[in-house]
Amino acid sequence: MHLKNYFDLSRFWLLLKMELFRSKKGLLMIFVISFGLLFFGGLLLDCAMEKKKIFDGHPSNYVFHLMIGGFILSSLAFNDLSNTLKRYHYLTLPASTLEKFICMWLLTSVGWITVFTISYTIYTLIANAIGAALFSDMKFLPFNPLGISSLNTMKFYFVLHGILLVGAAYFKGYVFPKTLFALILFFAMGSILAYFIMGDEFINHDCGVGECAVLHEVISHDISVVLQWIFWWVLAPTCWINTYLGLKEQEV
Amino acid sequence: MIQINGLSFGYSPKKPVFDQLSLTLPSGNVYGLLGKNGAGKSTLLKIISGLLFPTHGKLEVVGFRPKDRFPQFLNEIYLVTEEFHLPAIKIEQYLSLYSPFYPRFNRSLFDEYINEFKIPRDQKLNALSYGQKKNFLLSFGLATDCKLLILDEPTNGLDIPSKSQFRKIVANAIHEDRSFIISTHQVRDMENLIDPIIILDEGQIVLFENNERISKKLSITRQSELPDDNTLVYAESYLGAYTVVTENTNMTETSMNLEILFNAVVGNKTKVNEIFKR
Repeated sequence: MHLKNYFDLSRFWLLLKMELFRSKKGLLMIFVISFGLLFFGGLLLDCAMEKKKIFDGHPSNYVFHLMIGGFILSSLAFNDLSNTLKRYHYLTLPASTLEKFICMWLLTSVGWITVFTISYTIYTLIANAIGAALFSDMKFLPFNPLGISSLNTMKFYFVLHGILLVGAAYFKGYVFPKTLFALILFFAMGSILAYFIMGDEFINHDCGVGECAVLHEVISHDISVVLQWIFWWVLAPTCWINTYLGLKEQEV
Repeated sequence: MIQINGLSFGYSPKKPVFDQLSLTLPSGNVYGLLGKNGAGKSTLLKIISGLLFPTHGKLEVVGFRPKDRFPQFLNEIYLVTEEFHLPAIKIEQYLSLYSPFYPRFNRSLFDEYINEFKIPRDQKLNALSYGQKKNFLLSFGLATDCKLLILDEPTNGLDIPSKSQFRKIVANAIHEDRSFIISTHQVRDMENLIDPIIILDEGQIVLFENNERISKKLSITRQSELPDDNTLVYAESYLGAYTVVTENTNMTETSMNLEILFNAVVGNKTKVNEIFKR
């Protein structure tokens, strides 16, 4: 086994540069749309419509835009595979499947999280300054990129974006809606199964708002703990391995 | 260079394109791959390039298993398909992005080809004409100094000067470590360039011979009457006379007509097979 057949740092760097160059228009578009929506919809409109004394919308806006923007970006990761002619070019490019996978994984996970978080932090500083000038009676809370909420969002995104990568490697075109549909189908089937197993338990218990003994029981149940462990430690690596294998098995 | 042993492939299990195909292609030749539509030419080229995976059999191309698509393998092959995609960037940008992937890329050779084909450098690649795009890809492929260039219908869409330029460039670019596989229907464009000739029919190699042996074994002549002996392989009536393919019994070499040869081989496989076995 010759290691250079699988990974070579200089070749990987070339690939990374090439992918960055190729995706610069797409990235720019996502950023313009995201920050445009954030500023006009998420900040100005919110301040004008809601008569609040304090604007605290940055953390929730961050969650939404990091997730949605990242998912769209991840779904476009292997866009070349959606088109037969582009596929010839992509698959015969002298870089290994592992390099092609790591390149896209890096750009859509760590790359996206880092670039978006830095951009978002800069945006909140500017937006807060503009907001304070326009709405002098309001207080704009700063955004902490290293706060617990932000870090949790990053962790969730890091795990979930793998699902979109799998979709990008297997579906030809319309990756985002197709993956979303597959997920909805999966959860619908899971919910039906859960209903048949535990439906009676829920029906026979009186669950008020914020008070549900059976729900607490389910959450603290061994299976639930195992599921949580699977979510945090197994889901993402499984998705990454599947993406790699999907790429490796690509034909024209 | 290419070693195929007992290769089987099919787009569906019920309809195999190839069944137990075996073929050995040494380096240093311009192979002409001929066949009717649906004979499996493009499929074979894709299998050789690692873009399709055989269901059975062994395949080795420039020392690698194409299915693995190792970078060292992809460095040594360059595929120009009949239809292709080129990004909306200029030649210089394309070169700076893609040529570093090919360690032996020869920039001056590339410039030479681009000048010979008169491809404008200031336009974006997607704005070039179809023929110019094809010539660009051919120039890039040649400049990579790869060992195997696979060209699917390379002269389709080329104008008359470009076709002769193409022949000249390919003829000059061949050396003992390099091979070309040219799949084409435009056999007249390829006469005097491709040697040996591989004719594929219904997933089988029905002829794989060099031009010299073909000329020694078969004779292509124009006659007013059909010969009545059993040397006749194939005949075509055209403008009041017959173009006749017969077994070459008196060892006089006749000029090669690839179109007639192809029709003769596909039309009378058994007879051709018998002649070449003798």
